[in-house]
Formats: sequence, C-alpha cells, structure tokens
Amino acid sequence: MSTERNEILARVRAALAPLPRRAPLPEWDHELIQLRAAQPPGDTWAQFFQRFAAVNGTPLKSGAELVALLEQGGWRRGYCDPALWPALEGFFPAAFQVETTFDRARVDDYDFGITAAVGAVAETGTLILSDRGTSSRLAALAPWVHVAVVRPDQIHSDLSAALAALPDDPNIVWVTGPSKTADVEGILIEGVHGPGVQAALLLG
Amino acid sequence: MASSSQLPRLPLGPERRVQLMATCLCDAFYDDVAKATVEVLEHAGVTVDFPEGQTCCGQPAFNGGDWPSSRKVVRHTVKTFAGETPVLVPSGSCAAMLRHGALLEFEHEADLPAVQHLARKTWELADYLVNGLGLTRWPGRFEGKVAFHRNCHNRGTASEAASLALLQSIEGLTVVPFGEAEQCCGFGGTFSVSFPHLSSSMGHLKLDHIRAVKPDYLVSGDMSCLMHMGGLAEKDGQPVQIRHLAQILRDALVNVGHRA
Amino acid sequence: MATQLIDRFAADLPPDKRASVYQSTKATHEKRTKLLFDHFADPNHLRATAGEIKQHVIENLDTYLPIVEAKLAANGAKVHWAATAESACATVLGIMKARGATKMVKAKTMVSEEIGLAEYLGKHGIEALETDLGEFIVQIDHDHPSHIVRPIIHKNRREIARSFEREGLGDYNDDPGTITRRARKFLRHKYLAADVGLTGANFVSVESGRIVLVTNEGNSRFSLAAPKVHIALVGIEKLVPRDRDLGVLLNLLARSATAQQLTVYTEFISGPRAAGQPDGPEEMHVVFVDNGRTEVLASECREILRCIRCGACLNVCPIYRQASGHAYRSVYPGPVGAVLSPLLAGKQFPELADLPKASSLCGACQEVCPVNIPIPDLLLRLRARGKAEGAPRAAVASPPMGAWALLASQPAAWKAALLGGRLLNVLPTKFIPVPALRAWEEKRTLPAWQGGRFRQWMRERRKS
Repeated sequence: MSTERNEILARVRAALAPLPRRAPLPEWDHELIQLRAAQPPGDTWAQFFQRFAAVNGTPLKSGAELVALLEQGGWRRGYCDPALWPALEGFFPAAFQVETTFDRARVDDYDFGITAAVGAVAETGTLILSDRGTSSRLAALAPWVHVAVVRPDQIHSDLSAALAALPDDPNIVWVTGPSKTADVEGILIEGVHGPGVQAALLLG
Repeated sequence: MASSSQLPRLPLGPERRVQLMATCLCDAFYDDVAKATVEVLEHAGVTVDFPEGQTCCGQPAFNGGDWPSSRKVVRHTVKTFAGETPVLVPSGSCAAMLRHGALLEFEHEADLPAVQHLARKTWELADYLVNGLGLTRWPGRFEGKVAFHRNCHNRGTASEAASLALLQSIEGLTVVPFGEAEQCCGFGGTFSVSFPHLSSSMGHLKLDHIRAVKPDYLVSGDMSCLMHMGGLAEKDGQPVQIRHLAQILRDALVNVGHRA
Repeated sequence: MATQLIDRFAADLPPDKRASVYQSTKATHEKRTKLLFDHFADPNHLRATAGEIKQHVIENLDTYLPIVEAKLAANGAKVHWAATAESACATVLGIMKARGATKMVKAKTMVSEEIGLAEYLGKHGIEALETDLGEFIVQIDHDHPSHIVRPIIHKNRREIARSFEREGLGDYNDDPGTITRRARKFLRHKYLAADVGLTGANFVSVESGRIVLVTNEGNSRFSLAAPKVHIALVGIEKLVPRDRDLGVLLNLLARSATAQQLTVYTEFISGPRAAGQPDGPEEMHVVFVDNGRTEVLASECREILRCIRCGACLNVCPIYRQASGHAYRSVYPGPVGAVLSPLLAGKQFPELADLPKASSLCGACQEVCPVNIPIPDLLLRLRARGKAEGAPRAAVASPPMGAWALLASQPAAWKAALLGGRLLNVLPTKFIPVPALRAWEEKRTLPAWQGGRFRQWMRERRKS
C-alpha cells in the first residue's frame, strides 16, 4: 500500500519538476460570487423562505401549519427527534402515530420524519443538517416527508458565510429542496431516494 | 482556440499602412473579397501593401496535426510579412492562426520570438477598422436584411462586436438575429472532409436557422464558413446569397457613388 | 474515401435518439447560460478564477496530497493509494473482504466507471448495485452511460419501461414518475441490506479534509446512512485548497451541469459517524486513484485535470449533439472526453487517437467550461501527438499535408498552382486526384476557381 503511495507521489513530483513556475492560488473577493440580486442585509428568514419555496421546499411557520400539512397529505405515521417532540406533541391529534425511535427494519412504515437542522442559508434556500445535530440520518432521509426544524438564530446570509461556518462534524448535508431526478427524458420527478416533500419549520 | 490567450498587439504607428494577407481562399476562389478588402481599407485612408510571396497561414496542417508541415508554412509567412507594418487579414480564422495557433506549435522552437512578433502585429479586418482605426460607423448605404454568422474563430475576440457595429451602422441595412447563433457551421477545415456527415449536419442545422429568418444575404468575416454553407445550400438546390463583410462595406460605398 | 469512426457512428444513429440528445443538451445549455448571466455580474471572470484555483491545485499536488492525506487520517478516515485501475479495484475488494462484506451500494462516480469496479466486484462474488437512477438503468441493461451527468440521455421512457418489466420491477409502465417510484421502492431495501456504501468525490478540501459530494437524488446520502462502511474513490486531482474556494466551484458546478443554483444535496464528509449516533458508517476509507493521471500531469495537456465533470462542454458541443456519447467509445465522452480518454488510455492512446479529431475546433466548449480549460488547444496538441506517433486512426480520411506545405512555402510553385487550379473548373471532380476535393463535393458544390485573378487586379491597380 505504502509503496503505491510513494510511487504515485514520486510520479507527481517528477511530472511537476520541469515546470518553470507553479500557478499561484488566485486571490478573489467575495464580490466575485455575490449574486446580482443579493438582498440587502435585513430579513434573511424572509429571503430564506422565498428561496426555499422557489426550490419546491415547503416552508412552515408553526406546529399547527406542520400538522395541517401532514393531515392534508394523509401522512399519519412518522418519526420525531425525541428532543423536539415535547415542543411539538401538543399540536398532534390522537390519530397520528409518532415514534421517537427510528426502526430501520420498518423503514416503509414512516410517512414523515421530523429532525433538527443546524442552520439555513438564505441566498439559496438551503437547510443545513449535520451528523451530531440529527437524531437519525435515516429518519431525515427515508420517509416521503422530511421536516427540518430550524431555530431563528441559525441563518447564514449566503454560501460564503455558510462555508466559513461549517461546523466541526463528520457529515454535513446542505439540503436544497426535495430529492429529484431528471434522468428519464429530462423530466423532473421529485422524491427519488430521499424525501418527495422537504419542509422547513422555523421554531423559536 | 479563439477565446484562448492572445498576446497584446504592438501599437499602430501614425502611418495608416498595412500588409494585406489575402488568404489562400481568396487567392484561389474569392478574388472579389480580396478586392473589396483593399477598397474598404483605401477608403479608410490606409495604404495597402501586398507581399507577392504570400501563400497561406499554415492552418490546414496545424489543424490536421501535421505541425512540422505547418511550421514550414508559418516560417515562410513570417519571412514574407517581415518588418513592423501591421498584417491585415480578412478572415477571423487566419488571424486566429497567426495570433494564437502558431504560438502553440512554436512553443518549443527557437524562432518563437519571430512568430510572436507576427502575432502581435496581425489584425482581423473588422477589429482593425473599429479598434485599430477607431471607426464607429461605416458610411454609405446598403438595402437589405443580413444574417451575420459570427465565425467561431472570432468567439471571445473583439472582432465579433466590431463586425456587428460596422454592419449595424450602415444605413438601410438590418441585421436579423437567428437561432443558435453561437453554434458552429461545421466547416472546421479538414474536419469538413474527415467528418463529412457531422460537418454537413451541422451546416444544415445552421442553414435551417438562417433560412427561417429569410435574410437577403448571409454575411460573415470568414470565407471558409461561407464556402461551406454556400456549397451545402447550393447542393440542396436552395442557394443562399453569401457575402463577406468586406463586400458589404464596399458595396455600401459603391451604392452612394463612392468608388476608390 | 473512408470516413472516421465517429462520423459513421453519427450517420448511423437512429434519428429519434439524435433528436432527443440534441433537444435535451440544447435545453440544458440554454438554461445554464441564462442562469449564470442572470445571477452573476461577470460569469466569465468567475470561470477564469475557478480555472486558476484548479490549475494551482494540479500544479501543487506534490505539496497538497500529503497534507490532505494527513488531514483525512486525523479526521478518522483510512487513506489508500491506487496507481492503476486494477489496484483500485483490488483495494476496494480488500477493504470489503477484511470486513466479510458482500454487498455494496454505489452512488454515481465516474472513477468507478473508469476502473470498471462494478464488473470487477461482480466477478468476485460481490453485488455492487448502482443506485443513481440513470446508472441503475444502465446497469440492468448492461449498457454504458453516454453522458457524464445524464447517463441515460440516449434512452427513452419506453425502453426503460421495457427494462423494468423484464427485471420484474412491475408491469409495463412508461410514466417517468412511476418508473422513479419503482426504483425508489426496490433500492431502499438494497441500501439497508448493504455492507458498504461507495461514493466518489466532487471535491476534497485540503484545508479541512472534507470530501464534498454534489447530488440530486439522495442516493449518496442513503449510501452514507444505511451501510456500516463508506468507501470514497477519489481521483488525485480532485483537491481544492481551502473550504472558502468551494464557494467559487460550488457556485459554478450545479449551474453548469444542470442549470441549478445548487444541487439538492451538497454533502461535506470528513469521517465516520460520531460516537453514539445510530446511523452512518463506522469506517471511512478514501482511495486516491492515479490510473493515468500522473501521466496526464506530466503531459502538455495537464489543464484537463482541472475538469469538475459538469458536462457543460458535452451539452454545447455540436459534435456531441449529433453523435451522442457512445460515439466516443470511452467512459468520458464529448470534448472533455476527446482529450481525457486518449490520455488516460496510456499505451492504448492510438486506439482513441481519432477522438481529438472529432471537433471543428469551434471553441464553444472552452466558452462554457466552468474551469476555463482550453479544450481546443489540447485537442490540437493531441492531434499533433497522433500524427507524430503515426496513429492509423488519426490518419483516416485526413488529407496529407506534406505536398501542400511544400507548395505553400515556395511562392513560385504556389503561383503556378493558382493558375493550374483552373483545371478544376473544366474537369469533372472524379478525374481530380485529390480525395479531399471529392469528399468536399459529395456534400457541397465548389465555387469557381479564380486563382491568380486578385493578384493580377492588384498589380494593375498599383500601376495606375
């Protein structure tokens, strides 16, 4: 193994040795990736919800709105992060079956999963999930409906800010809308392997 | 090739004088385009020299991968167009060969500096008129609807905007936009004979878009594209009227009684 | 006159396939262009900067590779190195055998196509299942992807519906929504049963050791949620110096590839799951793959290693649009493939030496390239190499240039030929001993020969 490492690195060095000079890392300003239509600093949550809706995300502003969405879709069985459940339980009528442990053997039994997001990006309408911040990766992915619960202080204005603040975590996922594909004849279909409905619930 | 790096040009001196490279296509087929180029330049107050020893820019072999053959021709061209007087080419493709292509094949050659010198003094016609001489409009009159094919070698160069600015400034002339204008006509030098199906399919697609807007003339800054598209259209039995930009500029003068 | 393989492939392509490839590449290209210019004040400056960042990386791989290796190890990943395709496949197999693993779910990775991983593992009794919808369909059809981003751009819904019926995934139904739903249902149990999830990497940040994955379907997330082992196959050129630089590349990648601001999922992976978490891999392996890249790095075509596999050059390319991806007979089609495939072929370069010729050198590829690769220049360099090495495939239907060069470097001979060319006007083409002229006239007319007329006019004008 290490011989191959050394072999590859030796070939890299040999390939680069004849170069009279190496290309420098360019300096670039944030302006370069500033969107033309960038919003002035202000209501970043309003911008987030507008962008989130533009990528077919479902914005939710209260537990009541969440339950209304689920009732409308006929999604009655689901999972909720045990840490979030106390704040949400009161909104759910008795007809709902909500578990706080995700049983992977019954993956098809869950219509929805409610888990915590660790942030959002206003510019792109993106939710940020992380390994440590998510109670179950599968519950955030396998059910048809995923509800990410975000807190008001967890917003970044744009991609640069979000990249600068990437948490120290082994698995960070930026989620920008429902899972989708256009593999078949370029026709957009949502809900391929991940959620067909991606909701964001602002709770604070 | 077109959008790749190009060396900055040597400044133009106070004297309006150029060495004309007529191009092999005009030398062989399109004498009127070369004549029109001379008349247009002279109208702009430019003295036109014509080095008799000129042949070709070397591009056919360069594109074909035969760089030793191409270098032989480029070396001849460097010798033929010696001195400081700018070289003027009524072809975006030949200009690109001298401005950029030749530099690639001379990268490891001892006479690279001479080739660089040629690159720095070479101008495509429209670029020279607008950005060299500072013309912003063209006098005269030309009645007609023109579809302008931006040849790919002018992609990302100053020639595209310059050509359009000149055309649009001519009284009576309308430039009509057409679909997929950024796409290639399919000529591509030896590509046109090595890949006859692809080349002609691309050309027909282009012609379909052009015919859809019913222009009176198909205009370009490159006879190679026009020879290809004109030849395809004629073979189809639906000929299109092809004109080089220089011919339009010359005819605009002739139409109001200017004659050099 | 014989014609080039790619030209014949294009001529034989069924018209409906050509039409669908043409329509969908054109539509994506147009959306991509509108989005970039709507969103950014100077997209071309952005592309140029991205190109400089990647060029800096590839020219400093000797420094960056050991740094990122240490960073990945510190994050808890095990780093492997594979010099060849065979070695990369064997490394993956070795990791699986050590765990007693028999089942793999694969996210989309071009490197795995390049090294023939799924086939190799299959031969060794391991089920390696493609999970990207397009790649899954390619796999059940024993076909090959024909586009970097849209693997089944060459297939229509009816063909796919027939394949699903054949594989027992349901009765014939060609509704794209139904097809997708059936794949979803079938594949999720495969993820849950798999021992290993395999991904590629779009980028690897040297600064943080994060592997960045950019996807839309959610299959890579599933591959990193259900199985216990994560293996990432990474070409050695995939590095990015700092997390910050990802801002430039991520802003370009999705817009260039699929005309999206961002893909649905952007994942930053830096190690196995945290202690106490229920899902996600317990082990993470990163396999750095050379497989010819160091040879490309040593060549004068090293700029091609900037490529971020967006497919924009395929979408804009008039040749790709007419010929489709399989015409290129290699994993990487289109303009990028016409450069990269012959280079990665190593000693088999002559087999693919015709690819660089399949271009009119129109430059549209460079104009859309998010990392501003001078593709036409690289195609030209490879043409020169094909000619210098005497590769027969490069020479097919290519007019010889030696005699022309002799003529064009001797003015007297040139002038004589200008006059002699007038024979063209009187002789039928079939009597003219120049195959290129005959090939020209098969498709087009030739204008009348006027050789010498301009020169005479010029001389008379100078006299008066």
